[in-house]
Amino acid sequence: MSEKFVRPEDYSPTEAMVIYAARFLKNFDGKRGLIGTGLPLVATQLAKMLYCPNMITFLETGQADANPQELPISIMDSRLTFGSSWQMGDPEGLFPLSRNEIDFGFIGGAQIDKYGNVNSTFVGDDYNKPTKRLAGTAGAVDIGVFAKTTVTLMAHQKRRVVEMVDYLTTPGWMVKKWPEGHLVRREELGMKGGPSTFVSTLGVMKFDDETKEMYVDKVFPGISVADIKANTGFDIDVERATQSDPILLEEVRILREEIDPLNIYRMR
Amino acid sequence: MKKSKIVTLQEAIQEIQDGDSVFFGGIVEDRRPIAAVCEMVRQQKRNLVLLGTCSMSGDILVGGGCLGAYRGCYSSNGAFGISPNLKRWSEEGRLIIDDIGHLDLSLGLLASMAGSPFIATKSCLGTDVLNPEYDNLPKVREIARSKELLPAKKYQLMEDPFYDMGTVQLFPAIKCDVCICHVQQAGEEGTVRIDGSLTFDHFAVHGAKKVIITAEQVVSEEFLRRDPNRNQIPCTSVDMVVEAPWGAHPGQVYNFYDMDIPFLQDYAKHCATEEGFQQWADTWIYSTKNHEGYLDKLGAARLERLRAIPPYGYRPRKQGGMK
Repeated sequence: MSEKFVRPEDYSPTEAMVIYAARFLKNFDGKRGLIGTGLPLVATQLAKMLYCPNMITFLETGQADANPQELPISIMDSRLTFGSSWQMGDPEGLFPLSRNEIDFGFIGGAQIDKYGNVNSTFVGDDYNKPTKRLAGTAGAVDIGVFAKTTVTLMAHQKRRVVEMVDYLTTPGWMVKKWPEGHLVRREELGMKGGPSTFVSTLGVMKFDDETKEMYVDKVFPGISVADIKANTGFDIDVERATQSDPILLEEVRILREEIDPLNIYRMR
Repeated sequence: MKKSKIVTLQEAIQEIQDGDSVFFGGIVEDRRPIAAVCEMVRQQKRNLVLLGTCSMSGDILVGGGCLGAYRGCYSSNGAFGISPNLKRWSEEGRLIIDDIGHLDLSLGLLASMAGSPFIATKSCLGTDVLNPEYDNLPKVREIARSKELLPAKKYQLMEDPFYDMGTVQLFPAIKCDVCICHVQQAGEEGTVRIDGSLTFDHFAVHGAKKVIITAEQVVSEEFLRRDPNRNQIPCTSVDMVVEAPWGAHPGQVYNFYDMDIPFLQDYAKHCATEEGFQQWADTWIYSTKNHEGYLDKLGAARLERLRAIPPYGYRPRKQGGMK
């Protein structure tokens, strides 16, 4: 691949998020991923083309080793069926997860908190009259419970990257123990896995081994740690932050010309 | 020859009573029983309890005032946004929702299929799905006509006594009054052949008191029985068969047709407001007397542009597929 770089003004924040996420997926070549709908699907297609051709895509709608030839627009687009090894239904799509055979889950969401919990159910403080009703649990709960690790994609905004999610859909490191609902470490409930990475439109966040709190690992070109602090809803640790390697011309070209030539996902 | 189960769409939908718990086959915009749902709105069903997922088929019921409650795991129209009527009604505090997980749903249907009262899983541990404050099952039960089909409680936690897996959730079987599946082919006795994702259909039909199949094509049982391994729903689990070509439009049916993207976008735009939905419903439900009227209004040319092209089960964008 050509090593020619592009400047931050030559790509959108969403494109940066998708490209850095695709780079991160390099760690999962040959591994099994359960991929959520939306931009995770786009980043996965880019990653498979550039960095991890042997990654195996599972979907919650029952495909094993899906190989779409065109970019799907939803989690059960027919484009996911053609070319897959196996097409059953949603139960068979989810059972590899609950058998703990999935190496990583890859999702989006509306809010993420400092322990990596994700909300895709509702925003507000009244479940019966939410400020914003969202799609609900779908595979997002199951990915967080059963995948060996979770990767999350989300625009980096103060109202999205928060101290505590309004509704805990996808369990991160500190989760709710019922019936009281107090926060405990996920291991206490016998849950394996846990979130490893949050790729945003500003940088890459990881979780401290001891405290399990989110910290900034990488800052994208043209972005400062001050930008990240200003767009985060809690006092985020930026002490370990380093600069990401710049985006390559070839990454942008493939994303625009081969993955989403029609700009279906409105990334640009 | 055994008795034919073929009825008209109107006849099939007349079998649904107010307050019934209903489950729809398909997911998001794949094989959703849109023709059946439009007829339910025409027949002014009320206080239905929707189980499973709420994409366009369920969302039309919300807008049409047919739904009392929704208990499920996914309320999105995929690329076209959160199901717009459900979103609006929920944000106005007008719709009872009880969220469960996606694996919960699969396992609840599996339990029902197997005749078991519940199934154990670690699904949803640690999440707000198990938050007692958000447990709307009692309210859902209040609305449902057949209360015995809804569990007495949402879940029960216990320690795994067998494999030392720690805390597990006992999740009750999911049962319903009526299951409606839109499929590619059905025989006159009810044998069903599905292409593409089976979604939950092959589980859900076994936990339903009544099963209505709407099919793109009604073919002979004899033809389907030449290759029974290719059939996913047995005739023994089906009560009624309706021929409804293009019955999942504007969604997709694998090997038959692709999504009608402009139509889905138009739906999302209209349903942002109450008046918009009414306008949409006037055009596509009330002023078309039946499914044939709906198809006439769409026109043959529009439908032809959606047809799947072999070997793909869809219409590739490079071969005229919609964008």
